[in-house]
Amino acid sequence: MHIIIWIIAGALLPWFPFSWIFNRLLVSAPGAWARALAVLVLPQLGLLLLLKSGAWMSLGQEMPQTLRALALFTAILYAYRAAGTRDVQIWARLMATSGLSLTWLLVGLLPRYWDVQFFVLAWSIPAALMLLWAGILTQRTGGSYLGLTGGFARVMPRLSVLMSLTALAATATPVFPNFFALLQAMASLPISWMPLLLLVLLLWGWTVGRLLQDLLFGIYRGEPVDDLSVGGTWLGGLTLGVFALVGLFWGGIWIIN
Amino acid sequence: MDHQLTLGDRLKVRTMIYVASEPIPRFWPMRTFIHHNPLFGLEHLPFEEAVEEANRLFHGRGYLSRSEYQEYWQAGKVDEAALRKYMQAFLEKQGDALPEIPMEHWLWSLMTLCKSEQLVPKTDWLDGHVLHAALHGQATDPDAARQKARLQEILAHKIALDGPVYANVDRLFGTDIGSTLDDLLVKSCLDFFDEGQSAWQSPGRKQGFFAAWKEVAQHNVRFFLRGMHLRQLLESEQTPEGVVAHILRDLRVPEASWQKYITRQLTRLHGWAGFIRYRSTAKHYYWAEQYPADLTDFLAVRMVLGMALLQEVVRHQGCPANAEEIQNFVHADPLSAYLRLELYTGTILPAWAQQVEDMLARRKRPSFDRVGQQYVAAKTRWEGERQVHNLLRLARAMGAEAETQLLAMSPEQLDQFLNILRAWEKGEGFCWLRSMESHYIKSLVNRIHIPHQQEAVEKRPFAQALMCIDVRSEPMRRHLEAIGDYQTFGIGGFFGVPISFLEYGRGTEVHLCPAIQTPKNLVVEIPAELELEEEPLYGALEHVLHELKSSVLSPFVAVEAVGLIFSLGLIGKTVAPLTYHHLHNKLHAEKPVTRLLLDKLSPDQADSILRAVQRAMIVRALIKEWNVPRDQVTDDDVKELREIALEHISGPSALAQRMQFSAQQEAEFIQKLRDTYRVERHESSLQMERLGRIGFSLDEQVRYISQALLLIGMNRNFSRFVLLVGHESETENNPYESALDCGACGGGKGLPNARVFAAMANKPEVRRRLRDKGIVIPDDTWFLPAVHNTTSDAVELFDLDLLPARHLLYLERLRNGLSAATRRSAAERMPTLGGSENLAQDPYAAAAMALRQTHDWSQVRPEWGLTRNVYAIVGRRALTEGLDLESRAFLHSYDYRLDPKGRLLETILASPMVVGEWINLEHYFSVVDTEHYGSGSKVYHNVAGRFAVMTGNQSDLRTGLPTQTVLKDGKPYHEPVRLIVLVEAPVAFAQRSVGNLVKIKALLGGGWVRVILMDPEDEYRAYVLEDGAFHLQERSVTPDSQTILEEIA
Repeated sequence: MHIIIWIIAGALLPWFPFSWIFNRLLVSAPGAWARALAVLVLPQLGLLLLLKSGAWMSLGQEMPQTLRALALFTAILYAYRAAGTRDVQIWARLMATSGLSLTWLLVGLLPRYWDVQFFVLAWSIPAALMLLWAGILTQRTGGSYLGLTGGFARVMPRLSVLMSLTALAATATPVFPNFFALLQAMASLPISWMPLLLLVLLLWGWTVGRLLQDLLFGIYRGEPVDDLSVGGTWLGGLTLGVFALVGLFWGGIWIIN
Repeated sequence: MDHQLTLGDRLKVRTMIYVASEPIPRFWPMRTFIHHNPLFGLEHLPFEEAVEEANRLFHGRGYLSRSEYQEYWQAGKVDEAALRKYMQAFLEKQGDALPEIPMEHWLWSLMTLCKSEQLVPKTDWLDGHVLHAALHGQATDPDAARQKARLQEILAHKIALDGPVYANVDRLFGTDIGSTLDDLLVKSCLDFFDEGQSAWQSPGRKQGFFAAWKEVAQHNVRFFLRGMHLRQLLESEQTPEGVVAHILRDLRVPEASWQKYITRQLTRLHGWAGFIRYRSTAKHYYWAEQYPADLTDFLAVRMVLGMALLQEVVRHQGCPANAEEIQNFVHADPLSAYLRLELYTGTILPAWAQQVEDMLARRKRPSFDRVGQQYVAAKTRWEGERQVHNLLRLARAMGAEAETQLLAMSPEQLDQFLNILRAWEKGEGFCWLRSMESHYIKSLVNRIHIPHQQEAVEKRPFAQALMCIDVRSEPMRRHLEAIGDYQTFGIGGFFGVPISFLEYGRGTEVHLCPAIQTPKNLVVEIPAELELEEEPLYGALEHVLHELKSSVLSPFVAVEAVGLIFSLGLIGKTVAPLTYHHLHNKLHAEKPVTRLLLDKLSPDQADSILRAVQRAMIVRALIKEWNVPRDQVTDDDVKELREIALEHISGPSALAQRMQFSAQQEAEFIQKLRDTYRVERHESSLQMERLGRIGFSLDEQVRYISQALLLIGMNRNFSRFVLLVGHESETENNPYESALDCGACGGGKGLPNARVFAAMANKPEVRRRLRDKGIVIPDDTWFLPAVHNTTSDAVELFDLDLLPARHLLYLERLRNGLSAATRRSAAERMPTLGGSENLAQDPYAAAAMALRQTHDWSQVRPEWGLTRNVYAIVGRRALTEGLDLESRAFLHSYDYRLDPKGRLLETILASPMVVGEWINLEHYFSVVDTEHYGSGSKVYHNVAGRFAVMTGNQSDLRTGLPTQTVLKDGKPYHEPVRLIVLVEAPVAFAQRSVGNLVKIKALLGGGWVRVILMDPEDEYRAYVLEDGAFHLQERSVTPDSQTILEEIA
């Protein structure tokens, strides 16, 4: 029974090779809002399944090596794939998969449900926001593939800033919650496994660098486009701000404990 | 393989390179920045055609955007009647293409209502049928045969056979050869052309660029690590032209296309190519003499690097290796090639990009047919919808009828409609430009003063000032005339005396004359005071510190030790620039009083000077090499050593015998005299030749002075002081400093020319001969050199020690007048440079701010320079006296009555007017395209090799003006129109003068400048040259411009 639960959970809270299903589900969601919702809900469902079925705690405090290796492999694989894509929508999906897979490192370590739930949200929220921005970009330019017509920094400064901040939030930049989530994942690993996690971090740095390069720099040569509305910018900014503040609060609690 | 190239082949390649380089403008080093027309190489074409050709070669745009012109139109700076006239002329050329459509209304609305850059942008698939379908919401019906033919056309255009192979590979495979090649080439150029900026110099530079690079490249680890196999390429040929020919053959470029291929290669980095082109032709340029290079070297290096990078990509990605293979690849699967092009050139529909990229990334690629067809259909639909969107938006702005007209058109009519719009948009910028110019022409013609036919009896002014024609002299002249009894004249800032100047303490000559002239006479500056051997303590310390700063190793060891010393200067310059400057000046040794060697030397005098110099060198050598002090050496000893060194006699010398030096020691000493101290026979004859160039003969002096005075109509009524005011700018931390200096002095400072002129004109012998020519200069007239600092507006007088005692009585009045004009001019300028509006009422505060501008190293815009120039007025001062021309006019004094043969007018048109045209067009193109013709923002500039600037750490040399010079708050501060030249002369007379000058005729006929003739013998009617003929320009009845009557400050 547990195997079926693991498989279903692995498809919802992505874990190689079932992470493929998670990605297919996101791709098949109709529209940006649906995809954003899916990236928020699916991992939570997976988590719920693990916790309610008792599978989460059944492994006890000591995590099996294979599980750990698979979680890190998933994170590395998807981070690497994200570095090779220029499509923001795909980037957000792959980065979400890479980050969410680290949840598996915490199996059995975080007994409080809300703690794990927040860990998952730390990756889901920036991914959901990024998918929304990708939807807006598609609406404006016909697609979310970057680097074709030069940087958007001058023609869509508001959207560019929000996308840049969200990309940084998605890659565990300090002050955002997933930075503290990453610290928690680090604390869960023996020191000999640390290079692999550092490799994940390195790949994230590379991928966000490439994204920002394509997003911001270069002279824009495309059609005239409208920027994000001021209201939308405030809303996006506020969401990111609250996200960062909660992250600080959550990180503080974790450090104190 | 080189042996297969005959001399004829080599010459052919060199000729091709020469011809290919013709459109590339020469780029002078920053130290003597020459304002030049970036399209100088295309001046044989009419302006409009040249702009189009330059767009093809340099990818630069030639006009402002539509929305920018619309802003000028709304501000009343465009002549609407002229704009409508040009539009109607265009429509007349189209005939009765679409009689039922009110095209005039459409075009006018397009110009005045449409904000987008292009209403009908470039498309691949759009035609009348596609547009018709999109307008009516119908599906397009693809015609396979037509689509196929169109696809071939697109590919033939975008993957041209004569296009660089690497560029085609980049377009088809998404490789990055082009930019990598540019980076590597720029690095190689920086290594070779460095003029002392780098602490470590590239080896073997004396051999020339290609030879030196070749040696280094074969052992370059960086190239090796990149997998570039250069050795084989370099060993195949010896000469650069051989390499070029060899690689072109290897790339299978048809020989008929070599010329175009070479042109494209050279124009890719046209800043570097322009600099190398200048350098290879500048005979007096020290660095070019030392380290020779030409465009053949540059092209050979580029071709070798490009070939090596291409071979590397071919090895790794299996892409085509030459032009033929590329064409075969494209023809084998045109749809796949099209999709590749779309993806890698960034024109693909974004929604398709990922899918196409994924398909290309697959190892087993599926057929592109289905996806390709679908993509073409999608792209066609998108182009149609975009066009419909653009047209409907315009139609709705025009009114309901326009939309109905659009919807009623058949596919064929829509095709014609699109063609007309495309043709109009192609030439629209030129119409806007001419209409703007028409506004300025009318404005000038209406404002200019008509001189009274009967001139009043001339009163002798207190002082006369000859100032440069530069636009910055205009306010100074206006204020000087307003405050007192001053008369001013405009003349090229080199005062008609072209000189090659050897400044005291400098090792190289500088040409102080317009860049189009080559001076024959050398003027040497020598100190009038005894020079002390000892270096001042502060100077020595500073020398040591600067050596430390430029050393490679010192940053590792000396930062903590001496960093603090530099920080003091840093803080001082930032916090209190004026105080810091005063202190700094106190610590520095002042430049000694100097005199200019002005008179031609007789052979005896030259020989005597040479002997004196050689003797001095021998004395110095004796002290340094043999440690023999001067008091132990007699003149005969020195003379004997000199004779031995020059091989007139043989040793041993009496001195060597007396001092008991061996024959070996003496031989070594003599050799050193020849090698190091240049006391050598061949060198002596060279120096004699050089001494022969020094100074001017009396005839030359008389000729230059009389010509200059007649040129500006100054043959009588000389006042007590005749100031010769050269100009220069003074700024800190500004690589563009020389761009603010005198254009008529080749980007140098105008003071030496003023001093030369004054010294000549003050000579009694010269004056006597001038009197014979009818130019009577009274005995109490004194020509006094001065310099106008255009940043602070201060005017400083020079050579006052030569001033006769009787003139000293008036000196204070003169100085007071000049400083009052300085303050008033500063008060006018400072509010435009970020100062408060109140400064206009506070001349003292304005002058203080102007002074601060000269020493503020953080200031990116110390002065506006020549920005906003628009007019050049050649005529008497009476035309413009009291007229506020807002520092926008070059003013050249000229009186046609003193020029019966028109020779003086020819001189003005051939030299000062051309300088004005270059300055104007440099500004024009730097505004209309700040990136390609301008040099972008100063903020990102870095000095390259001490001769130019680059953006970032590596780029093409930035040749134009920075945005800070021509824009204000992101909008053009310089209003880009061609120079409007107004000449006060009878029409037939002026036409005759122009007819005698082929180059000027081409410039005027080609529309590179706009010309107005004001005919004094025809009641000062104005005639404007347009479309090859002079048209009468009526003057509007407007009140006269107010003469400035201001209180003496």
